[in-house]
Amino acid sequence: MLNLSLWVLLFPLLGFLILGLVGRMMSRAVILTVAWGACGLAFLFATMSFFSMLGTTPASARTVDQVVYTWVNSGSLHITFGQLFDPLSATMLMVVTGVGLLIHIYSAGYMEHDPGFWRFFSFLNFFIFAMVLLVTADNFLFLLVGWALVGLASFLLIGFWYQRQAAVAAAQKALVINVIGDFGLLLAIFLIFNSFGSLNYHDVFGMLGSATAGSATITAICLLLFVACAAKSAQLPLYMWLPDAMEGPTPVSALIHAATMVTAGVYLVARTSPLFEQAPIALNTVAAIGGATALFAATIALFQFDIKRVLAYSTISQLGYMFMSEGVHNYSGGIFHLTTHAYFKALLFLGAGAVIHALSDEQDIRQMGGLRSRLPITFWTFLIAALAISGIPPFAGFWSKDEILSSLLVQATNTGNLWFYILWGTGLLTAALTAFYMFRLLLGIFMGDYRGSEYIHEAPPVMTVPLIVLAVLSVVGGFVGSFGLIGLARWQPLANFLAPLFATVHAPEVSLGWEWTSTALSIGLAVLGILSAWVLYRKGFAYKENRNPLYQLVLHKYYVDEALSLFIVQPVLALGRAATRWLEGGVLDGGSRNLALLLHGTSALLRRLQTGYVRNYALAILLGAVLIIVYYAVRG
Amino acid sequence: MPLSAYLIMSAILFSIGVVGVLIRRSPLVIFMSIELMLNAVNLSFVAFSKFLDTADGQMFVFLVLTVAAAEVVVGLAIIVSIFRTRRTIDVDEMNALRG
Amino acid sequence: MTSTLVIQISFFVLAIASTASALGVIIFKNAVHSALSLILTLLFLALFYLQLGAMFIAIVQILIYAGAIMVLFLFVVTMLAPDASESEVRDPLRWQRIIAGVLGVALVGALSYLLFTGVATQSIVTTAGVNSLSHMVDTRGNIEAFGLALFHGFAFPFEVTSLLIVVAILGALVFGRRT
Repeated sequence: MLNLSLWVLLFPLLGFLILGLVGRMMSRAVILTVAWGACGLAFLFATMSFFSMLGTTPASARTVDQVVYTWVNSGSLHITFGQLFDPLSATMLMVVTGVGLLIHIYSAGYMEHDPGFWRFFSFLNFFIFAMVLLVTADNFLFLLVGWALVGLASFLLIGFWYQRQAAVAAAQKALVINVIGDFGLLLAIFLIFNSFGSLNYHDVFGMLGSATAGSATITAICLLLFVACAAKSAQLPLYMWLPDAMEGPTPVSALIHAATMVTAGVYLVARTSPLFEQAPIALNTVAAIGGATALFAATIALFQFDIKRVLAYSTISQLGYMFMSEGVHNYSGGIFHLTTHAYFKALLFLGAGAVIHALSDEQDIRQMGGLRSRLPITFWTFLIAALAISGIPPFAGFWSKDEILSSLLVQATNTGNLWFYILWGTGLLTAALTAFYMFRLLLGIFMGDYRGSEYIHEAPPVMTVPLIVLAVLSVVGGFVGSFGLIGLARWQPLANFLAPLFATVHAPEVSLGWEWTSTALSIGLAVLGILSAWVLYRKGFAYKENRNPLYQLVLHKYYVDEALSLFIVQPVLALGRAATRWLEGGVLDGGSRNLALLLHGTSALLRRLQTGYVRNYALAILLGAVLIIVYYAVRG
Repeated sequence: MPLSAYLIMSAILFSIGVVGVLIRRSPLVIFMSIELMLNAVNLSFVAFSKFLDTADGQMFVFLVLTVAAAEVVVGLAIIVSIFRTRRTIDVDEMNALRG
Repeated sequence: MTSTLVIQISFFVLAIASTASALGVIIFKNAVHSALSLILTLLFLALFYLQLGAMFIAIVQILIYAGAIMVLFLFVVTMLAPDASESEVRDPLRWQRIIAGVLGVALVGALSYLLFTGVATQSIVTTAGVNSLSHMVDTRGNIEAFGLALFHGFAFPFEVTSLLIVVAILGALVFGRRT
């Protein structure tokens, strides 16, 4: 089997180094050659490896652990830098480099007039590098390295327009929350090393057995891992950074906050599925948090005016779906939704970027409308993406979402647990809400009359081509997923492809009848959502003041930011101010000042001894000599 | 005379030399006091040589004499060069170490 | 009068005289007087050496100390300070005189106390063998005994001494050179 994953890692790193070091002096064409070339070669090599893997049988031969370098070999601690290339990382590599490449291409148009052109592309390459490192690492330590570097890349890209106060604040927020997750991952790694004596995936998973099942340690490890996932994938309660992260350039939003970075958490849960399978409590937590996040974020998305914010909350909501799926043992379903979501969410963001670009950086939906005829390509691709995310067959989102919903229902019927029914209901409700807010957005942007005043122009081909490619993927991307709707043998190439990874998973038996029920309900609800949006916003988006307290609550995102500010930020700031005044000014500064005064006074006294008279010193010597002799005389 | 008589004589002369170093301000007189101390020690060496009936003590005296001569040569040269630069040889003026 | 009595009387006379002249060294205000007083002390010490039978050392003491070193002293004293007296400024460390005196007396007292009570001085055994100093002096004469001891046991230190003197001459040249 051809394994080029090391090159997939090295090319973006090379591109980042070249652009970072000498990009400032390069012309735009050279910058694009390097950036596109690095990402394109990475994608090419990933594709070659992927297809080589597809041609490899049996499936057990598809996992290759390529140890590149032994970093630490100390006692029982062996840390190697190795690259694990298996179906899961191959899938992730395809998504990361493929969607990443499209966004690289798109950015050339979007960022055309930005003075930080070279910086932007060097950061993009750095991000691809970090993400590839994350998904190909064969041990937890380099997973952590990639994890932290991805956080750093997002910090750099969100704060790309560092002259803007809001962008800097958003970047800091993202970094701080990401570091909370990093800390969780770090603790989990400590625990893993403490319990298993190794950090390599293969060694750790090999040591799992019935003896370890359900132990408190495994549960703690999984919960800590999920803290990391929640921070990276913007789940409750660590989701706040993602909507703010929309301060970055729109391609960044597409790349980091929709298609790839936020999927790291989903990837990690799938990667460590053997651990999660042994910790039912943690797995239920994953499902519950996922469901809560999906519904919570979907309701906020209902009434936002900033189009990127709507998309941001929709991302959070869709990530919730993925975690729900993984929470009911359907890991391949989560990965499936991850890939389809990467297509249509990247498409939505890039389409939104095209709209923003056309309207000269206008992001408020209230200033839009009637753009359908003016931006035809953007409109049609956006429509495809909206249909896909709403779960309308045969678009990609339908297959993955249906897979998730049906596995939720199957889990509910198999266990008979009421909570899983509630989870399933949450998923269905979220699907309806998703369809509603997506079409509210779509109709608001493209229908009715144009309300703004800016000159409007369709995006250049360098931006529309990625849109079209992503639109095609959003249409056909779902066919690799699994469905057993026709009653024949289930068609599930992706799930079969990923199956070796999840050999330990006790997936529940699927009943076709329940799947059909779930499918019919989800389609029906999605159509209902679209129809209500059509009824309300057919004539375009008309903003009306609404004093309904419930509406105000949702509009202000449940006042989470305000509450955070009130209960966390302000007290911490007050504490900091008090510490500045009392601790630093009084205790530390005062203490050191007094210490200095004490030393100064003492030395002022002591230096009287240094009279500068040589004879004084000689006297001291004599005094010492006499004392010694007298001591011997007295001692006898 | 017993050995201790010479040793006490040596101690008296040595102490006088020490006190001279401590109370005089002229480096020349201080040097003389140092010579006095050296000679006081020489006296005890010779006395030991006599009472131990070996020549070693006298050898030491001989070596001390040479060292003293060398020391006086260098010391007086230093004093002369200090006088050249500062026009004074009062040891109290040489107080660069004052705190 | 027995010879022991003569020796005792001469010892005490010498002791008083050398103590007085040594005190003169540190008491005289005039540096020339101090130097002359020191020469006197050195001569008294040479007499002590004679009394102790160290004839060669006594001669060398007079030749080198009184003859060479003290001449050098007097030369420098007269060159640097024509009136050769200490500066007129009041001694800023007058209090040190008292302390130094007390400490000097304490030093003498403590050393004497150690001498009279210490074990070390009382257990000296004189080894009257063929290699002993008195035997050598009796058979070969004083100077020859000294020379034999010097070149048999102390040849290397003696040679090092010459090196020391060369270094001292070079040092004096360097310091004395007008820049």
